[in-house]
Amino acid sequence: MKVGRRYRVLDLAFLTLLTVVWLIPLAMMVAISVTPSSQRGLKFGGLLISGVSAENYAHVFRDTPVLLHLFNSIVITGASVALVVAAGSLAAYAFARMRLFAKEFWFYLLIVTLMLPIPALVVPIFRLNKDLGLLNSYFGLILPYTALGAPFAIIILRSFFESLPKEVEEAALLEGASRFAIYWRIVMPMSWPALSVVIIFQFLTSFNEFILALVTIDKTELKPLTLVPLLYADAFISHPGDLFAVLTIITVPVIVVYVLMQRFLISGLAGGGARA
Amino acid sequence: MLFVVFVLYAALYTIYAGFFEWDGINDKVFVGVQNYIEMFTTDHAFFLSLRNSLYWTIFTIFPQMFLGFTLAYLLNSHIPGGTLFRAIFYVPAIVSPVVVGTVWQRIYNPFGGFLSDLGFAIGWRFLQQPFLTDFHTAIFAVIVVNVWQWTGFSMVLYLAGLQGVPSEIIEAAQLEGAHRWQIARKIVWPMLRHVHLTLILLGVIGTLQTFPLIYTLTHGGPNHATEMLPNYIFQEAFRLQSMGYASALSVVLLVLCLGLSVVQVKFLGARFALNQ
Repeated sequence: MKVGRRYRVLDLAFLTLLTVVWLIPLAMMVAISVTPSSQRGLKFGGLLISGVSAENYAHVFRDTPVLLHLFNSIVITGASVALVVAAGSLAAYAFARMRLFAKEFWFYLLIVTLMLPIPALVVPIFRLNKDLGLLNSYFGLILPYTALGAPFAIIILRSFFESLPKEVEEAALLEGASRFAIYWRIVMPMSWPALSVVIIFQFLTSFNEFILALVTIDKTELKPLTLVPLLYADAFISHPGDLFAVLTIITVPVIVVYVLMQRFLISGLAGGGARA
Repeated sequence: MLFVVFVLYAALYTIYAGFFEWDGINDKVFVGVQNYIEMFTTDHAFFLSLRNSLYWTIFTIFPQMFLGFTLAYLLNSHIPGGTLFRAIFYVPAIVSPVVVGTVWQRIYNPFGGFLSDLGFAIGWRFLQQPFLTDFHTAIFAVIVVNVWQWTGFSMVLYLAGLQGVPSEIIEAAQLEGAHRWQIARKIVWPMLRHVHLTLILLGVIGTLQTFPLIYTLTHGGPNHATEMLPNYIFQEAFRLQSMGYASALSVVLLVLCLGLSVVQVKFLGARFALNQ
């Protein structure tokens, strides 16, 4: 929409001001992480820095196997994303295109469970993991993340699949293609907008999930990145630089993934990923 | 299958365990509805966690919606730097809540935190209060952090919704001489009803699963002033080893979530929708 020049300047001023306020916490995080520990008396909560040093990062990499924790996070997140996409898309395809027994009942059940937050299930999942011997194991997190992420994936993908034209698939069926071949070679490649929404959401929820990880993984060498700040909780007063270096390190992967995927996100949400 | 085990079995198990007094190690003792009676009659922390959920719902959802809508409306025109502004507002939503909580704890710290230093520099002494450790301000201090984190997410959903608003309608209104905030209020805002509903719903779900922010900022304190159900469940189950009571609390949380999903199906149908 057309906007007059005077308004445009006002808009920019307003947006810039708000952006600066919005950036303070993250700017402060980075600022403290590069402030050498010899500097006492941080100015403006650490936002103003007078020297830059990688010393804190060196400490963190020396004291903590950060790459190992990153590896743990990647294994757990990657596996749950892959499983959710595979299982979710197959189930969604079945919901969209096939006759199933009590289909709407199952779908309604999925919608109901979409609302179930992890904290409400943390006690029984903990017991279940304990009984199955999955405490201190990647699977103790991968399996619940997948189970809890599947409803969202199925709901989003089903509505996207239903919006695809049926004719192509019917033609392929007449040519003798199997259902699975249609799903794999025709439907999936056309579904990138919806799949990217599912991937981003599943990635973010698994990568950032906290409560279940906290009770499931006790062994330091198996901990995903989200739990690492707790190892530095005592450093809050004595070595804030180290703690904030850790926080910065944790934040980098999600920003990278976001930057890689962001162009899909708004178009995916608007273009049918979440359309009725 | 996975879904059945981890979600349905877990939910049923919680209901069952809620009727026992149980430390997770020794035998369960059946106490009937005693846990629930205690909860609703004498448990002040439970009452506070319900009150806080109400505060949380009201004071995060509505500010986020207005701010998110305003940002989306401004950024929907081709403004210079638009992509950058979007990215900056959205970034907090993808950063791990553990990181967010730790950084904001530093901001609120009355000894050398950002707010305190800012208050000192510009003479606003009230900024130097210990917001997080004062019984009356703590919950609002945490809510501010939540608004900071999720406003960009509302903005993205509104941006997606705005793509479904036909530009002819807006141009026609402009030709009639309508001011652009009149257009925003009278035409665009009512057309985005689906986005409002989706955001309210996601906001309530978010409230019911708030854990890492509370855990890293206040641990639910001081004296349960910032208690929310997930944190209370966690503390009861894994710090005080009272699994039975924690299960009963989980049941209350489950019931709230199920009630919510019924509301969702009633208002939004079986899907999340951003355009009509």
